[in-house]
Amino acid sequence: MTFKRDPGLPYQKLDEETIVVDPRSREVHLLNETAARVWELLASPRSLDELAAALGEEYDAPQSELRAGVDEVIGGFRDKGLLDPGGQPVRG
Amino acid sequence: MDSAPRCQDDAVIASPGDHAVVSRLQSMAYERMIPLNVSLELTLKCNIRCLHCYNFDRDTAGPVCGDAVSTSAPELELPEVLRVMDELRAAGCLFLSLTGGEVLTYPHLFAVLDRAREINLAVQLLSNGTMLRPGVAARLGGYRNLLGVSISLYGATAEVHDGITQVRGSWRRTLDGAERLRAQGVAVRLKLIVMRPNAHEVAAMRALADRRGFPYMLDLTITSRHDGTDGSLAMRVDPEQLDALYRGPLGDLIPSGGRPVSEAAFPCNCARGNCAISSRGEVYPCVSVPWSAGNVRKQPFIDIWRGSPVFERIRGLRIADYPSCAPCPDKGYCSRDRGAAYNASGSYTGIDPFVCSAAGLARKIGEARATTGR
Repeated sequence: MTFKRDPGLPYQKLDEETIVVDPRSREVHLLNETAARVWELLASPRSLDELAAALGEEYDAPQSELRAGVDEVIGGFRDKGLLDPGGQPVRG
Repeated sequence: MDSAPRCQDDAVIASPGDHAVVSRLQSMAYERMIPLNVSLELTLKCNIRCLHCYNFDRDTAGPVCGDAVSTSAPELELPEVLRVMDELRAAGCLFLSLTGGEVLTYPHLFAVLDRAREINLAVQLLSNGTMLRPGVAARLGGYRNLLGVSISLYGATAEVHDGITQVRGSWRRTLDGAERLRAQGVAVRLKLIVMRPNAHEVAAMRALADRRGFPYMLDLTITSRHDGTDGSLAMRVDPEQLDALYRGPLGDLIPSGGRPVSEAAFPCNCARGNCAISSRGEVYPCVSVPWSAGNVRKQPFIDIWRGSPVFERIRGLRIADYPSCAPCPDKGYCSRDRGAAYNASGSYTGIDPFVCSAAGLARKIGEARATTGR
């Protein structure tokens, strides 16, 4: 399964962090450095493995740890309604 | 600064839990001079004829005119508007206010909203609400990046409101429009403009907003017009009305003991985290200060933002540069409205005597309250 950020959500970089504004929920989300990078990568659809691999090129950490971190970030985005609701099916 | 000063019109989102995050972003913009908040005037056309309008005298039959610099230039075409939006985003804009005239008269409004969504701008509209028909409200409800709509209301009754807009039925249409928009899930905030003909209804206006469950802001600012006429000033509350308002239904606007004022500068977000662009492309420090820093038809926005002598001047101002304000004992109670000062005096560092007398009155009442505890 791939994930993509909701393309309609306003956001702004704040140094290494990113602020995402959700007018519908009236919430403002402050993403830490890792979550901000994932947010950037989610401009186009990516799977969890693809996200972990991309982070692996930037961070010196075991792949399993990166995968777990990505999993947590995506889960947070999903819970907060920040992902594109039109998700894509698993590629064959 | 812990929290950069912002114009009231910017604050449609006001969730307590988010305040610290937004404040941090605004402070960063203020310190680094990033145009985080931009007001973009799409048109000067309007479907009502408010007596207090600051654009131009709406009772004139002449061509649409606006700022003193380019009264005969045509309004920006859609491709120009879209280009400017891209430039604003690249410069760091996040919060874009669309205004007019009446923004809903602008024929390409939805193309502008589409572009704002594509480039992840958070948008709010400033409107009179009268054109929010069901289809329009539904369409606006589909924009997830729409922060909200600020709708101006001038009375608790049709008689008073319509007398100010000079359009019968406008009060009803404004309230119906606000309700329709809210039903579509869009945040609506009423802007209650207090002036001479509605001063007696202020308490009723607040009660109406409360009863209908609309958040609101109050504004007493009436300035002379950007076309150089000053007939709008006749709509300002008179001193007796202001006294009664501050001792009555607007008493809560006066901070007990006053606000702290830095001796280094008059904090203002003009040309630091905020600017405005007129429908003819003039870039101003703020929507109410028609002091042109340049025109986006002639220069890229970022060149104006970074290199304009006007903006350089404003950014370098310290309290000592305001000759009347620096020694004034009423500073802690003053709105320090730069638009009022500029329009009244022709100088950014000048004064508007009405604002001064309002501050004096507020200090008198505020200090008495602080002393008596009432």
